[in-house]
Amino acid sequence: MRKSFGYLTKEGFKNIWANRLMSLASIGVLVACMAIIGIAMILTSNLNVAMSTIEKENVVMAYMNDKNSVLYPIDGSAPPTDKNVPDSAYKVHNEEEAKKVCESIGKLGDVEKVEYVSAEQALENYKKNYVNGDSQYLVYFEGEDNPMPMGAKITLKSLDNFSAVVKQIEAVDGVNLVVSSKVIASTLIKIRNAVETAGLSIIIVLMIISLVIVSNTIRVTMYNRKLEISIMKAVGATDWFIRWPFLIEGVILGIISAVISLGFTYGIYYFAAGKIKDAIGTGSLIAFRKLALPIFGVFVAIGVLAGIIGSIIILSKYLKKEGSEFRAI
Amino acid sequence: MIKIEKPGTIQNERPLIEFRGVSKTYPSGNTHALEDVNIRIFPGEFVFVVGASGAGKSTFLKLIMREEKANSGEIYANGYKLTTLPRKKVPLYRRTMGIVFQDFRLIPNMDVFDNVAFAMHVVGADKSAIRREVPKVLNLVGLQHRARALPHQLSGGEQQRVGLARALVNRPKIIVADEPTGNVDPNMSYEIVELLDRINRAGTTILMVTHEHNLVRDFHHRVIMLENGRIVADNAEGI
Repeated sequence: MRKSFGYLTKEGFKNIWANRLMSLASIGVLVACMAIIGIAMILTSNLNVAMSTIEKENVVMAYMNDKNSVLYPIDGSAPPTDKNVPDSAYKVHNEEEAKKVCESIGKLGDVEKVEYVSAEQALENYKKNYVNGDSQYLVYFEGEDNPMPMGAKITLKSLDNFSAVVKQIEAVDGVNLVVSSKVIASTLIKIRNAVETAGLSIIIVLMIISLVIVSNTIRVTMYNRKLEISIMKAVGATDWFIRWPFLIEGVILGIISAVISLGFTYGIYYFAAGKIKDAIGTGSLIAFRKLALPIFGVFVAIGVLAGIIGSIIILSKYLKKEGSEFRAI
Repeated sequence: MIKIEKPGTIQNERPLIEFRGVSKTYPSGNTHALEDVNIRIFPGEFVFVVGASGAGKSTFLKLIMREEKANSGEIYANGYKLTTLPRKKVPLYRRTMGIVFQDFRLIPNMDVFDNVAFAMHVVGADKSAIRREVPKVLNLVGLQHRARALPHQLSGGEQQRVGLARALVNRPKIIVADEPTGNVDPNMSYEIVELLDRINRAGTTILMVTHEHNLVRDFHHRVIMLENGRIVADNAEGI
């Protein structure tokens, strides 16, 4: 077999040339399939990057059921007139108890990190984030009069089970309220899931199309060469010897298509990225060179697999036939 | 049946091809294509197989080429037991024989040299062996000067000589020729059989299916006659 490798590879190239119109047509279809797969991959990658950025920033605040939560209800209901609230009216009485609540939250499955936020810290954060430069008005709230409840800053592992996790946190004993950007999270999850499902189904469908196209081209070549194959069988060629040039043919078709598709995908991405930047003025798209290698890898894999599987499927069906039967197909 | 007594054949030598009670039926037909065929062909023999069309000649050849399997009986050929030979080993078995077809089966876009070299490529021969052997065998069939001609530039007789060269190039023990003169001018037919005769004298066993009685008559070789799937005559001295 090693001695024949050069000969068989040359025969594979000859197949493509002898059958050039069909080869060209199949390269065309393969390029179209691969380019769409490439675009689907680019979309998914970009969306994933955007998602992980949002996920990293996705922090849920849990507020404790402490004295302040009773004195200054967050839900807008009327505060109690008597400031001397009995201890039994709330569950978290001091920092230690608050930290215990944080620990229980930390034990939940999808929670990445829990950070205890004291009432003072909460007030500081509030000053920083919401009152921009007018914090002097808040001096009256400092010390004993601080209205902020104790809290926990919770980072989630992912957005996938967002609502369920929020419900779990709310159920933890001592938690009064969980504040989250629920709508954004669930929308993003829906979008990502949709894009991933669509991308995956597109890729599967197009891979099947690629396989059919390559198989068909190989079938045509095989018909054109059936005289040769019948002679090969008569003089004692092994099945693999007969198969090899067709396999090479399929693989070469795949690789040529992969190279062209990479160029195409680059062109489309370059054009589309420019338009997107113009429209929303963001530079957060992934650079093509970072995606080029995995995309090219997928293209070559599709091409090579289609070539190998296509030629094996087609030939296995016919190689069972004997020389004289071969002449009659 | 007439006993085989070819002069010069050593009878205690192992036969090259042996059929023991071989029968063959095709799934489509009820009649036997071959029925209880017993035959032994020894190394160095030249055997004509004759019979009307439908007598079982091509089934006989297909069984020898292992394109078909017998329904019953046993077939031994070139040291292989064909009735139990696994499919994977069929190519190795076929390399021990050279096949000549009625319709030549030359590859039209390959020249004479490449058509012959093709058979060597298939068995994995290297380039130097191909360059050495192909001219030799073309010389043997008298076509060394046409090495670069394409099949359609050759006469029928010449094309069949290329076919013969291709069958010979891997030095088989036996040449199986299926009506090799069927598509060749009558005067050229003699040339082809003479060539086969010469190859036979050099030691290669020849099995030739034909329906041309004048050839069988003029070349005095063993003749096996088939009729309705049975061997009806086996004459060591020809007819």
